[in-house]
Amino acid sequence: MRNIYLVFRRDYLGYVKAWGFWLSLAAVPALMLIGSLFAMFAAQSSPVRYYTVIEPGQLYAEAIDAEFARNEAAAMAQDLADQMQLPDGAMNNGAMQTLRERKFIEVSPPAQDIDGLRPYLLGEQLVSGPLGDKPLFAAFILSNDGQTLEYWSDDVNINTLRYEAEDAVRRLARKHALEAAGLDPDFIQQADDGAVQVPARRIRSVTEQESAGSEVTLADRAPVFVAGALAYFLWLMVFSIIQYLLMGTIEERSNKIFDTLLTSVRMPELLAGKLLAVFAVTSTMMLVWGLFALSGSAFLATQVPGAGDMITPFLAAAASPQILLPALVSFVLGYIMYGMIFMALGSLCDTIQEAQTLLSPMMILLMLPMFAIFIAFQDPGSPVVDFATWIPVFTPFLLILRMPHDPPMWEVAMQMGLMVVTTLAVLWVSVRVYRAGAVNGASIGDLGKMLKGVVRKKAA
Amino acid sequence: MAQSPLILTDVTKRFGNFTAVRDLSLEVPEGQIIGFLGPNGAGKSTSLRVSLGVIPPDEGDVRLFGDVPHILSLRRVGFLPEERGLYKKMTARETIAYFARLKGMSASAAKARADELMESTGLGEFRNTRVSKLSKGMAQKVQILSTLAHRPDFLILDEPFSGLDPVNQQVLEDLIRAEHARGATILFSTHVMEHAERLCDRIVMMARGRKVFDGTLPEAFATLEKGASLEVEEGFDLGAALAPKGFEAHRAADRGHGDAWRIALPKGAGPQDALRAAIEAGAPITGFAPDESRLRDVFVSLVGEADAAALDDPLAELEEGELA
Repeated sequence: MRNIYLVFRRDYLGYVKAWGFWLSLAAVPALMLIGSLFAMFAAQSSPVRYYTVIEPGQLYAEAIDAEFARNEAAAMAQDLADQMQLPDGAMNNGAMQTLRERKFIEVSPPAQDIDGLRPYLLGEQLVSGPLGDKPLFAAFILSNDGQTLEYWSDDVNINTLRYEAEDAVRRLARKHALEAAGLDPDFIQQADDGAVQVPARRIRSVTEQESAGSEVTLADRAPVFVAGALAYFLWLMVFSIIQYLLMGTIEERSNKIFDTLLTSVRMPELLAGKLLAVFAVTSTMMLVWGLFALSGSAFLATQVPGAGDMITPFLAAAASPQILLPALVSFVLGYIMYGMIFMALGSLCDTIQEAQTLLSPMMILLMLPMFAIFIAFQDPGSPVVDFATWIPVFTPFLLILRMPHDPPMWEVAMQMGLMVVTTLAVLWVSVRVYRAGAVNGASIGDLGKMLKGVVRKKAA
Repeated sequence: MAQSPLILTDVTKRFGNFTAVRDLSLEVPEGQIIGFLGPNGAGKSTSLRVSLGVIPPDEGDVRLFGDVPHILSLRRVGFLPEERGLYKKMTARETIAYFARLKGMSASAAKARADELMESTGLGEFRNTRVSKLSKGMAQKVQILSTLAHRPDFLILDEPFSGLDPVNQQVLEDLIRAEHARGATILFSTHVMEHAERLCDRIVMMARGRKVFDGTLPEAFATLEKGASLEVEEGFDLGAALAPKGFEAHRAADRGHGDAWRIALPKGAGPQDALRAAIEAGAPITGFAPDESRLRDVFVSLVGEADAAALDDPLAELEEGELA
């Protein structure tokens, strides 16, 4: 154990002391932060503009104003809250005020025709408004026959205001048409509201139904999301270790250090230490990213009442033995299986160029589970997924994904057994390939010969 | 009776169709410095790797401290492989301490020992320098110190002098003597015979995977036919003149003035006896030099000039390294 620890410690510190590690570590939070800040900045930096409507009354001005009110971000946020089953009023808070800020404000017309408005629209003169004196950004002028509402502006590339006006006049026309037909202006909305609802219900046993009801809640959906996240996390981890394991092994091979190491530590100790180190490096990265995301979520929770209630079902699903146990087994075995394959292949390479020739087939090998994860996420009961779960390279990912759908226990047990057997077989072959590469200087070209030799020896 | 750190019995190692080591039997007694000599490709490195269990023998038996090589017996061994290698991003001090810890030393003892060794070998100011920033010679010294750091009972050094300048070769010789004085048994391979002449109690010579000699230095020199070189005026038949006096003389390469002859000395006769006999025979002598025997001559006499030439040519035959 001591030697495993020493190899682990050296490799781990070697990785985390490298600039690349810190760059990778900082890249994700930095990009998230920069993205959020940029979005906020873009939202906040957009100036508030004045517009005016020249018409006999206030009909179109009010319609446009109403349209803005309808489409403001708060309404969209509330829709989002509804979709996410957040409690009522969850979005009625200060955090959303920024989004609600009106970017176009109507002001009284400084002139009644386009010639009079020209200097204001060209910025030569300013108009007064609630935010002080500003140039007039746009003017709507209703034609004498009342058939067109002309949109005048010096900057015709910004169309938000015009689109809002188009929606407003369309809604107004619909309202007038309904009134002309003797119908209530909210007739269409009422008709929609009267449609038969299609609520989702979850079938449970009678006793369960008595206590939990039949409504589909977040608690019913959380296990699928958690399993999907875990499967994806495993895939991401396996994907990100390739580089570490390949480069680390190549460095040792090119440094010709194996003879020294192997007179100090046993081969299994060396491999275990190295696998653990890479596992710890990727875990450190993901932990830091996770903590960053958690901090962001915690901050959001303080801003969004009821967000805590939303997180609880996910935590409960993640802690459920039905998911946790297979996930742990799949994680450990999947990581060892893929890690050993990459390490063994890395031991056959002298240079990064050689390793790069291996990367393409490895990427294809790794994309296959990704496709399988995608299919399983879409349709976990698909016969394709059932079949693919029995293919050892897919099993670690798909077993996790299938768990929320209560697969037969005998299948789960058999698939776990299959993973154990496959991992042991991969270990057995990989150790021999690694030894041939590390100790005897075998190269990629010798791989076929080696595997043939391994099979022959096994048969004998 | 002290236990021999290493005993090889009839060890054979093959790589595919190539036999790198053939029927090698060797005992390294405790407390000796043993030179493992031979040209590149003679099977020295393979024998050492087999001795340490890095690669298994195909035939024969290996005993390291009385047992098959395993991690505990290997803790008593310091091994410097022929193919040098260190972690380039570690500092010199970290490197020495790391390998000492792998051999069982505590963290504090390993660091203290690293400092001590670096100070004593002039590397003190480079302790926190990354290996990648060290010169090749300094990096090699760091590796040698890593080998010694845990105070091993048995040091196996594969071509330890290669790549070192004359000053550092002397430093290494001193280190080997110091380790020997401490009580360590030392087995080192080299194709440079002079190091072995200066350091070894015993030498083992290898050629084409076979052991061709195993004994002390005097025993090695005793295998040589002793002789002297004489130069006489052109045309004088020294062979005919010395034959009646019991000396055998053969014409050697012409070295300038007159003819050069090589005289084989019969048992019990010295170079002065040959010179006296030539004078008495009336030889017009223009030059005389008694033979100065070197280990290289011993090797030549044992394996022939062709194999011995590889001693001088580092690129002659690369050490084997095939699939196990």
